[in-house]
Amino acid sequence: MSALAQWLSDPASWWGPGGLLARTLEHAGYSLGTTLAAVAVTLPVALWVGHTGRGRLAAVQLANIGRAVPTFGILLGAFVAFGYGLAPVYAALVALAIPPIMVNTVVGVGQVDPEVREAAEGMGMRGWQVLLRVELPLAAPMVMAGVRTAAVQVVATATLAAVVGLGGLGRPIVDGLAQGAAYSPRAQAMVVTGAIAVALLALAAELGLSAVERALTPPGG
Amino acid sequence: MRFMRKSAHRSRWVAMLALVLLVATGCGDSQEVAQEPEGGDDTERGTVVVGSTNFSEQEIVAEMYALVLEDAGYTVERRFQLGSREVVLPALEQGEIDLYPEYVGTALEFLSGGAGEATSDTAATTEKLRERFADKGVAVLEPAPAQDRNGLVVTQETADRLGLETVSDLEAHAGELVFGGPPECPQRPLCLQGYEEAYGLEFAEFRPLDAAGPVTWAALENGDIDVALMFTTQGVIEDKGWVLLEEDAELQPAENIVPVIREEVLTDEIADLLDGVSARLTTEAITALNREVDAEAADPRSVAEAWLQENGLIS
Repeated sequence: MSALAQWLSDPASWWGPGGLLARTLEHAGYSLGTTLAAVAVTLPVALWVGHTGRGRLAAVQLANIGRAVPTFGILLGAFVAFGYGLAPVYAALVALAIPPIMVNTVVGVGQVDPEVREAAEGMGMRGWQVLLRVELPLAAPMVMAGVRTAAVQVVATATLAAVVGLGGLGRPIVDGLAQGAAYSPRAQAMVVTGAIAVALLALAAELGLSAVERALTPPGG
Repeated sequence: MRFMRKSAHRSRWVAMLALVLLVATGCGDSQEVAQEPEGGDDTERGTVVVGSTNFSEQEIVAEMYALVLEDAGYTVERRFQLGSREVVLPALEQGEIDLYPEYVGTALEFLSGGAGEATSDTAATTEKLRERFADKGVAVLEPAPAQDRNGLVVTQETADRLGLETVSDLEAHAGELVFGGPPECPQRPLCLQGYEEAYGLEFAEFRPLDAAGPVTWAALENGDIDVALMFTTQGVIEDKGWVLLEEDAELQPAENIVPVIREEVLTDEIADLLDGVSARLTTEAITALNREVDAEAADPRSVAEAWLQENGLIS
């Protein structure tokens, strides 16, 4: 326990270039970047599928198969393909984030009451207007729930970036293990603080995005 | 709203089922690790667990140990690529593995906490290592002639630009250079700590990568790091046209490859088998085998097997 206290009281553990603050910012950066990239890639496709109803089953099933593909495998495969850098991390985490966003958006838009849709069309709205002004607002809480699920998974998994030599909160975990977490209290302290920090960041993502989700829920919905 | 939830639930179950299947098939594979003994005689021989740390040379040499033991009729369980010495050594002390290949100098400095006892004298360094290991119930067998030291590697372009030939040439430039190596390097007396003390190298940044493996190579090639910690027996240095900087302050001691084994499992016969491998293992031999695995993507087991057969060490 004293080694943990010692490691925690060393300013370099917190504020240095490889300190916990810098690692947390890197981790948040990877997570935010990959989640946004997944939203940008998935949302247009998922909205179109949900709106037209074309290929809905295929999209949902493909997404579910995607959930079964191990992120670690994608990471190492992409490392072999792209080499050192952010590309393998983005490939792995975006692939992790796509399925929940895809499923929730397709289902969310698809579940909009057909009568509401018909009413909108009856008012003279075009297809894209129905989608953006009626279906998307009604599906927003569901879409947001998908984004929240994706973001929490991404935060918890972005530790893998350390395996291919990048930063983030996987760094203290991987480095602590390599530096002797089996017996060195200092190395144990690194692993434990890294793990706790990841858990806290994931919790923060969960709480923050839940608040957004609630704000997007129409009253009485 | 109700239907939505149901469908989300169902998809979660499908995903979970797929995961369970993946894990189940994965488990099936790992049960095939133990090998059946092949020797024909009636003597009852036990199971020996051979381990290795996390780079290809370790796996090649550990395979050599495993294959000669199997050839003599032992049942061998392979636990390779376990991690750094900081992971593998406790595994040996706790009896999770019975033996693995070590390097006399680095092992001694590791056990002594950087007391500076390791020298370029192989015999003296090995003797000191035996003393350090004695109270842990671990025996150090005869070291091979093959040596594999830590070394600093730069690209030809960096060497030309900064006029680098020796490690001390780095001193004037270290402040602008990024150094990449294994995550345990900053805590190691013969790694970052040693280069700081013996050469006064204060790099701009240390980047934790892997044990001189593919991540390190890619980072050096990309220019994400300027200087890489690598191993002197790595054929990849020559293949890529990189420059291994000459050691001029003699930081790196004798680093002969040596089997370290728990005394509980050590018998004269096992010692003879492993010593037989070490006697033939030269720096040139292991460098050539490393190149086959690293550059030509050969399988460590077949590389080790072919070498043992060439040298008449297995039938």
